[in-house]
Amino acid sequence: MEEQGLQVNHEVTSRTNSISEAWRRLLFGVLLACLVPAASAATATANQTLSVALGPIGKVAVVQSSVLLAHTGTIFADFTGSITVQYELRTTIASGSSSLTVKAGSEFSPATGPSIARGDLTYTCGGATIGAACSGSQIVGTGSQTSVITVGSGACTGTGCAGSNPDSAIVNLTLVDNPAFKTGTYSTNLIFSISAL
Amino acid sequence: MKLNYTSFSRFFKPAAALALLSALGALPAFGQFGPSASTNVSVSVGAEASIQITASSTPLTAGSGGAFSSYTGTTNFLFKIRTKNSGSITVRFSEFLPNTGPKIGTPASGDALTYDTVIPGGTAYSAQTASTTTDTIVGSFGTDARSVQAGNAGTVTWTLPNDPAYKADTYTANATFTISAT
Repeated sequence: MEEQGLQVNHEVTSRTNSISEAWRRLLFGVLLACLVPAASAATATANQTLSVALGPIGKVAVVQSSVLLAHTGTIFADFTGSITVQYELRTTIASGSSSLTVKAGSEFSPATGPSIARGDLTYTCGGATIGAACSGSQIVGTGSQTSVITVGSGACTGTGCAGSNPDSAIVNLTLVDNPAFKTGTYSTNLIFSISAL
Repeated sequence: MKLNYTSFSRFFKPAAALALLSALGALPAFGQFGPSASTNVSVSVGAEASIQITASSTPLTAGSGGAFSSYTGTTNFLFKIRTKNSGSITVRFSEFLPNTGPKIGTPASGDALTYDTVIPGGTAYSAQTASTTTDTIVGSFGTDARSVQAGNAGTVTWTLPNDPAYKADTYTANATFTISAT
């Protein structure tokens, strides 16, 4: 019986210890829960420097996929037409520059009419709000590129810049109407290029 | 390692598609911005013609062949022409004024105003009789006739008989030249 009583007492003691352990864990959990909000209310700052190197760049697009030069005025007056060229650019602040140029990608075809090599196709420039448009009448060439717009250093297009984004230039084409041209339809291709430093 | 067709195709089909897309991306489509852009320029050159009289008037003067020699004079003109099929230059007159002298519309026998032409690049005509009611031929052009850019120089030499019946005076008529091309 004594052994049984001891066993009972032991069971009671053991159960009491278990309950006490449960209370300790519960109390620890409550304390931890109280501590967590206190920890989240703390603030800290950290700094990170971000830098980006914006280099010079230029891009160009032509609004019209094709242009038909047409007569205006009297018979054998020049054929005329206009091309709108859009461009985006950024030039280096101190020593940069940008150049928008044009050249003919090919001679007029067929060969019985106007000739790029003979200087039959010329143009004037205008409309640009950034940079300097070409001065006077320029002759379109097949080999060399001729100027449309030149832009100096520290220039950019867009908000906060001198010009809108994209900026636009108008190229006014003039083609001589030479009676020596055989009747027919003639075509060539003009290539506009932009560079930025 | 053995590479069967299925695994090869599985790898290279996407690779080829990617390469193609990359290549297309490298070429800016029309209207898109790129380092360069191009446009086609074309012109339709049709038949045209124009004429310019270089002097405002042509005096007819008596020849040196003696009394009542015919009056002669030359009208110079420049013409530009480009034909696809054909072309022509014609002339029509107003009547001489005052009406007491030579007549173009209803001349007396042997008193008609006649002319000879020189037409570089075209066909010239001789001994043509001027008219006030119809366009008479000065020159004609065939297929693909083309003058130089500055214009070809043509001439018409007029001959007006000196009829004693004409009252002494100064007589004036107007000649209108017309050039056309098709």
